[in-house]
Amino acid sequence: MNLPSGTRNYTYAQDMAILRTRTHWALFIGFLLLLFTAPLYLGGYWLGVVNLIGITLIAATGLNILVGYCGQLSIGHAGFIAVGAYTSAVLTNRLELPFLVGLLCAGLAAGLIGLIFGLPSVRVKGFYLAITTIAAQFIIIWVINHWDVTGGFVGIRVPYASIAGFEFRSETSQFYLIMGIAALFTFFAKNLARTRVGRAFIAIRDNDLAAEVMGINLLYYKLLAFFIGCFMAGIAGSLLGHWIGFLNAEQFSLTESILYIGMIIIGGLGTIIGPIFGVVFIRLLQQVLTVEVVPFLERTFTMLPAGFATGVTPMLFGLVIILFLILEPRGIAHRWALLKSAYRLWPFSY
Amino acid sequence: MRNKKLITAITVISLALVLAALPLLSSACAGPEEQTLKIGITTPSTGPAAEKGAPMGHANLDAIKYINEELGGINGHPIEVIWLDNGYDAAKVVTNVKRFQDEDALLFGTSSSKMMSAVMEIANRAGFPGIVAFNAPVLHRPPQHIYGQMPDYGDDWTAFTRYYMENVWKGPGKPKMALHLLNNPTGYGALDAARAAADELGVELILPAEEHTTDTISEIESLTRIKQQDPDVLYISSTPAPTALIMKNAVEIGLYPGVTIGLGHAGITKALVDIAGADVVEGVYGVFPTVNWGDNVPGMAKMTEYCQKEHPDDYGNMDYITSWAQSLIMAEILRVAEQNVGYDALAKGGEEAWQAIETQGIQKLNYDVEGLHGPVVYTPGDNRLSKSVRIFQVQGGNIVPITDWIEAPLVKYEEFDWFGQ
Repeated sequence: MNLPSGTRNYTYAQDMAILRTRTHWALFIGFLLLLFTAPLYLGGYWLGVVNLIGITLIAATGLNILVGYCGQLSIGHAGFIAVGAYTSAVLTNRLELPFLVGLLCAGLAAGLIGLIFGLPSVRVKGFYLAITTIAAQFIIIWVINHWDVTGGFVGIRVPYASIAGFEFRSETSQFYLIMGIAALFTFFAKNLARTRVGRAFIAIRDNDLAAEVMGINLLYYKLLAFFIGCFMAGIAGSLLGHWIGFLNAEQFSLTESILYIGMIIIGGLGTIIGPIFGVVFIRLLQQVLTVEVVPFLERTFTMLPAGFATGVTPMLFGLVIILFLILEPRGIAHRWALLKSAYRLWPFSY
Repeated sequence: MRNKKLITAITVISLALVLAALPLLSSACAGPEEQTLKIGITTPSTGPAAEKGAPMGHANLDAIKYINEELGGINGHPIEVIWLDNGYDAAKVVTNVKRFQDEDALLFGTSSSKMMSAVMEIANRAGFPGIVAFNAPVLHRPPQHIYGQMPDYGDDWTAFTRYYMENVWKGPGKPKMALHLLNNPTGYGALDAARAAADELGVELILPAEEHTTDTISEIESLTRIKQQDPDVLYISSTPAPTALIMKNAVEIGLYPGVTIGLGHAGITKALVDIAGADVVEGVYGVFPTVNWGDNVPGMAKMTEYCQKEHPDDYGNMDYITSWAQSLIMAEILRVAEQNVGYDALAKGGEEAWQAIETQGIQKLNYDVEGLHGPVVYTPGDNRLSKSVRIFQVQGGNIVPITDWIEAPLVKYEEFDWFGQ
């Protein structure tokens, strides 16, 4: 860890600490305060956006472990989110099991399905693996659409999440549930990256042949990465289902899977803070364009051809992403690292 | 190097400033506050269903403009529309509807059955009334707080099949009917009706039904399977782009002409004729719940005037009529509710206002929609506001009505144990 000048680690505990200095702690506590008091100053709509960001973050963090840390490209993440969403929906709606059982089973089911589709990763990688995960996306959605239990094309209703008799009905209560779980998984991912498992993932990503020569069991660790990544996707799916209240397979499209890849690339692959930046950036960009920019263009520039303003949304969205990839290909996390470095060294930048 | 960094920084900052400044400019341009009645409208004006969503969004807003500018709003209160594009994206439409709730919209409308299915539970849980133009059984059965502007996709199938049996089918025994369905409620709403009423109407269904996606690029394979079953009639319930592709493929493999083809109301629009070509769809039947352009009904002149003035490219598109009518209906709901409970009760917003809109507005409706589609009347236990459709046929590149209004009976799908499976 890069530490401010003059800060030294004298114990193992100090060396392992995520938050090392008083400034770290102050900023962290300030951030938590700002986040968890959000219902006090955000309206229902923005709280809904934050909830969507939280759910997306859990899934994106899982994908980042798989793609960013272990180097296994997956373009079927929305399919795994769907597995979790439907597992939780079926268990809590049809079998009337408690939400926590549904949540846990959602993660496990998605993880197990991820294991199955992760098996080809032992033999293939890169674009070839991407194709197998695209297949997962289509197969999963096809099964959901054609299986009576899931409600087929019509869809399935999902009850409110509830724990020990308390129903998470309001946007605020759902916020605390979603953010609590998102914080838990971010903490888990941060620590995972620093463990033997995390280092094995990184070794496989950097050079799987060399990793195998060093004694890393490729089959075990690749499948473990698929399981963890998809487990988190399943948890996100379960939360999404209970938040929206109704599931239809069309909510889990290939476009959504690609968007997840976009989020972790823009945020910064192989960093824990990357998915946070990427998810916040993409989701807010979507909202700003949809809610503010397009209606403004429609109202103001009436002389433009019909449909111009609405057509400009995907163009602006694409343009921002392209500019980002050109100007900062290592993601926002890299820019953040540079900023922190500049702060540490200031005023001596060289 | 320094220049590159400078350009990078300037580009990023400029982009961020432009994005941030647009809404601020917007609010700066706003006039003094008026006593308005707020409604929310969300349409898929971009994304895979934009060929329907964009003209529908235009029509929604044009109609509100007409009501505000020429009719003086609702009993003197202008309608304030919060219009949001949803891109045919479930995540976006969810936040859109939460925005409507947050901004105290009194009710919301959308054109798409898929978009409504993504948000109906949020609306039902909150008691926030919503009007969907293109309706599917799952959206209103069992009835809660979502109302169908028009009959559902299942009603289309029933109306077409009844017409086919009475006017087209001349052979002995039961005709064999194949189904080609979009893989969402638009398609499977028709299947639900077929399963419920095929025996009663005397048709033999070829099952399993074939299905397709909105972005399908070839249906040769599925149509070949259908052709091998030797059907007498093919029913397609889908949006214009995939329907056009299916029609082209049907012509290519020699399935059409030959079989009779019927379309649900999401598919038979000007966009279909434009995309597929008039010669490909010549003779195809379709069900649609509105009048056609140029029909002699009271609301036609004003709608035509606004369409030609504001969005001339949409002239001739039947989806435009649907959404123009949707805005008229939403305005009528506001008018009736305002008359019954007063402006102040509605202006408070929130659950009480939503309840007032529902019980004193929607459920007291009795409106002819200026003749643009079947009359809108609430019947207890039936959340379809209009229940009438007409059969159309493509003749010489034009979509021509060939029947009078046909009332579709209510099917209580939830009483079938297979419903939703």
